[in-house]
Amino acid sequence: MSDVLLVAGVPPQPGFLSSAVHRLQKAGARVHLVGAVDTEDLPADVRLDGLCALPGDIAKALPARAAARATPAERVWTRIRRERWAREQARNADVLVALDPHAIYAVWRMAQRNLGADARYGVQPAVQAVIGRQGTPPPGALQRLANNLPSRRMVRRNLTHIINSAPRAAIDAVTARPIMRSKAGTKLWLAAVRTPKIPDRLRTKVARQVAKGMDWADRPEGEALILTATAEKLRTPVSRARMLGDAASRELKAGIPPQDLNSAVDALLAIADERHRAGKQPAAANLLNRAMKLAFDRVLHIDRLTSPLAEDPEGFTAPFRNSLAATTVAAPRGRKQPAAPPPTDRPLRLLIATSANDNFLKLIRAHYESHPQVEIRYLDLAADSKLKSVTWAATQMLEQRLSAEETPYGANAEEQLRPHLDWADTVFVDWCVAPAALFTILDPGTTRIIVRLHSYETLSRWPYMVDFSRIDDLVFVADHIKDLTTTLVPYLQGPDAPRMHVLDNAMDLSGFQIDKPSDARFQLGMVGISQVAKDPLWAVEVLRQVRRHDDRYQLLLVGGDMNPNVSVASRKYLDTLNRELEELEAVGAVRRFGPTEDVPKALADVGVILSSSVREGCHCGLMEGAASGAVPVVRDWPFFAGRPSSARTLYPQGWVVGSPEEAAERILQTTATEETWRAAGNEASAHALGEWDWPVVQQHFDRLILGNHVV
Amino acid sequence: MSTAIKKAEYTPAMPTSRDLSSSSATGRGRRDGRPHLIYLAIGFPPAAKSCAYRMRETANQFRRIGWDVTVVTIASTSWERDSGVDYSLLEQVDPGITVLELPLAREDLETDIRKFSEERALRPAKWVTNLRKREKKVFPEPVFGGWRETIENAVLGLHRQHPADLLLASCVPYVNLAAAWRLWETHGVPYAVDFRDGWSIDVVNGGVAFTEESEAGVWERRILDDCQALWVVNDPIAEHYRDRYPHIAERVHVVRNGYDEDSVATVQPRRPDPEKGLVFGYLGTVNYNARQLGAVITAWRKARELEPLMRNARLEIRGHIGAGAAREANGLTELISTAAADGVSFGGPVLKAEVAETYASWDALVLILIGGRYVTSGKVYEYMATGLPIVSVHEVDHDATRVLDGHPLWTGACGLDEERLIDSFRSAARMTAEATEAERAGVRAHAAPFTRETLMRRAVEQLAEGVVRSGADSTGVAPPPPRPRMTDDSRQAGEVRA
Repeated sequence: MSDVLLVAGVPPQPGFLSSAVHRLQKAGARVHLVGAVDTEDLPADVRLDGLCALPGDIAKALPARAAARATPAERVWTRIRRERWAREQARNADVLVALDPHAIYAVWRMAQRNLGADARYGVQPAVQAVIGRQGTPPPGALQRLANNLPSRRMVRRNLTHIINSAPRAAIDAVTARPIMRSKAGTKLWLAAVRTPKIPDRLRTKVARQVAKGMDWADRPEGEALILTATAEKLRTPVSRARMLGDAASRELKAGIPPQDLNSAVDALLAIADERHRAGKQPAAANLLNRAMKLAFDRVLHIDRLTSPLAEDPEGFTAPFRNSLAATTVAAPRGRKQPAAPPPTDRPLRLLIATSANDNFLKLIRAHYESHPQVEIRYLDLAADSKLKSVTWAATQMLEQRLSAEETPYGANAEEQLRPHLDWADTVFVDWCVAPAALFTILDPGTTRIIVRLHSYETLSRWPYMVDFSRIDDLVFVADHIKDLTTTLVPYLQGPDAPRMHVLDNAMDLSGFQIDKPSDARFQLGMVGISQVAKDPLWAVEVLRQVRRHDDRYQLLLVGGDMNPNVSVASRKYLDTLNRELEELEAVGAVRRFGPTEDVPKALADVGVILSSSVREGCHCGLMEGAASGAVPVVRDWPFFAGRPSSARTLYPQGWVVGSPEEAAERILQTTATEETWRAAGNEASAHALGEWDWPVVQQHFDRLILGNHVV
Repeated sequence: MSTAIKKAEYTPAMPTSRDLSSSSATGRGRRDGRPHLIYLAIGFPPAAKSCAYRMRETANQFRRIGWDVTVVTIASTSWERDSGVDYSLLEQVDPGITVLELPLAREDLETDIRKFSEERALRPAKWVTNLRKREKKVFPEPVFGGWRETIENAVLGLHRQHPADLLLASCVPYVNLAAAWRLWETHGVPYAVDFRDGWSIDVVNGGVAFTEESEAGVWERRILDDCQALWVVNDPIAEHYRDRYPHIAERVHVVRNGYDEDSVATVQPRRPDPEKGLVFGYLGTVNYNARQLGAVITAWRKARELEPLMRNARLEIRGHIGAGAAREANGLTELISTAAADGVSFGGPVLKAEVAETYASWDALVLILIGGRYVTSGKVYEYMATGLPIVSVHEVDHDATRVLDGHPLWTGACGLDEERLIDSFRSAARMTAEATEAERAGVRAHAAPFTRETLMRRAVEQLAEGVVRSGADSTGVAPPPPRPRMTDDSRQAGEVRA
């Protein structure tokens, strides 16, 4: 009689199991079962000769590090092999049977240990195996012993495994979370990865596994420490650069500014330059892209209150200006022909292009769609998969710019974009990011190219991938953004720079004029609190200041909360904000309006509109508040304060303040009486409508787009 | 006829086409003046597949009219991991037929885990996905594409040993077409195709399976352009091909499946005994889905409750279920087992030799079929020939409906409409008691023209005649067939292959 061991990775259907056991027993087998089994569903008619029932979810992730990385099949095997009964049955079985795909690996492993057993997948094959064994004498004791010697294949496999994964084997024992979280553990591993005279390959392998341990222990900074320490000891510059890059990116991924960003960027750029000189452009592009992504990560510039780029633009970008590969990418290619003047015998063909974000295009599109002198097309590069694939393709773009010849990507971009360029007289690209880089990969022929840069783009890597020599007009939303951009991109200071314009965002402000109730005088308001850069804590401080004089003042926060997961800075900021607000909300001094589509309604009760941001392009929420008749109080945005252009040059004198104290003073002064408050509000509203409302701004756009174009 | 068949020996190092350039399909290699057919029939007995009967009859008919026949199929053992083997099917194979069994097997159906790589054991689904990709790179057919080279070399080797006058490729698998094309391309051996169900048409769901521009589309057009004849099993499929390739419309022939007389020869109606329990039966491959089977079981259960004649009735399902690891152990067997209390059971496959006996043990038949107007199935003819009442569980617009139309002991097609299925079961129960012998005889007479032998005899004679006619000249020596358009098409074929 044969012994059959059934292995289940997932609980078998009762009817299926019943039939399987019955058929095998009928064929003359003793049937044992191990694995995922719902014992409550076990059919009454199933008479197993042995059962080791494990939980039904053994194929799913378990709270163990190894299991989290494992495939479902590995998890099943890992769980089953812990059972002494199962190991014994596996050694003695004549036929090992996997009942489902997740059980195959366990049977495969068991079969490596039991050389005399048949190993089958499925019940019918198992029945055939049982029938096939009939008449075969059972193995003697010696044969059984021989059957259970590990196979040569297994010995070979294990030996390779041990050699290749000595650190991995060690890691499970020596990198447990408590150790990795302790200073002693970190010191131990730092010493290990710095051990002299270890080949790069082995050192790298150990470091990566230890880093994984740190990751598992939620210690990204420890992870970076290990990788950085290892990098210092690596002999190959490429390995060193990549390791430093990995260290920095792990920290950024965890939302932390890297401890040694400069070394990583410098090392990557050095190798990129070397590859570029050697004509290995794909590798150069890859390395340059890594360096750019590290240097311009949003954790450093967007999701915190300061930015090294804004603090020292020239210093921060110096490594890129000194890099051959980066300067090659930035080198102007120019255009063979100048942009043609607008046609006079037909409407101007205007192509408006963006990638998904059309927040600031709606009024512009609507205006030109009904304009008799314009034939408009709108191109959302994110809406078409082929266009999207050539748009957000930084590495390929870089490779194209580094290469003397056209790359397959360049040809593809040409194929995708050329029909649009051929059609259009003028292309208006909104946002100076990937779409702008894409449009300037190609020589635009005689088509005029206009690109609008809002604000955050200056803190991103994209301006270094745009060929400004192929842009005819560069539009900014404010002078301070223009100044920062020209500092960062030297080409824009030269004689061949595109024409530069400052045009306010297109906003329909007339809808914001709503009569405010008297008690709105004491209502401070902020629109938009979803980013650290909005710095609502500054507004809270202003509120505290004014409430010292009069506790009728309250603060209304309009907009969704910030995402705590984008960076450690965001998380900490949000924690602090919530703590601060808790007390104030309890007494009704602060209310959160939450996200809304109806901003005019939210602003109806706001008497004082605040702009507390550390940086802005042009603060639309503030402008809308001013248009509504709220008194504007604008912080002198620290990113730009003291520079030739700043919030102070964008807004009328008096609106901008240097500190919460000054803000409080302005508020107390302008809201001292209803009369003064309404007067200040009306004045602000008149200014906003006179300067920034769409009928005014529209004329600026017409001049830009149409010039003197008349059909 | 006997079970002893002649086996040709497979030699892995089959000659290349260049080695064969001196031989041609002009009849010069004929033995005793007999023309030679190479018949690519993967599924030939002893494979326990529904196509085995058609293949067996086709080969037998060629033998009957004096042809040498070499059947190319895969090793019998390979079917054991597929739908199984039935050696009793060999009993009716003409002993003069030579069979070449190629050492091919579906890798994906391997159930011996010792033969698995560690990667396959760890990630079986991914392994299969990668296998399919590899197969499709060789030929645009995911499961069998990798067999191309072996079949091509086998055919060329056979032709060298015994020059062929005709190659007939029965598909599935479609990779056979590559070998047919290769022999035509290199030696000008004419070929015919028995598509049975058709390639570019999705017979189950209706509609087109692939476009003419696809790789499979290019292959199909190329093959059909030069084929001697294309056989399909019913008119709707023939219409599809005539519409898609009007220039070959005259070469498209409907060759219905029919039934084997010996399968029903001994069926003598039982004396229905409702007290002991009427027995309804299904015989065939269980390839329908759980929804369809679920509908049958639900209707069956309710009919048993409502119909006094069915109070003790049983429903026996016989045939092959699943393949590989899932053989006789899939969701359908599970579903059947849940209805055991309602008299539903699964009895496994039936040997060909026991088919008639099985029908004789039943009072009524349940015809469960997938698909619609493009599907006929073979069993509908056999069912009809038993003279037993038939409950249909298939789409109303199904080719079986056309075949059964006018059958007096048929309850009609109603799709999966539960109420109507209940009525169908109840009607069939009543028919078992009420049907007269005259009615049963009428039914059998209605089925008579559909014997497989009759249908295949006609088709084979027609095909052979065409080949002989086109190959014979006034001297009595067979001239070369129309030359293949070698250069350009060969290049294209090479491109597709690449």
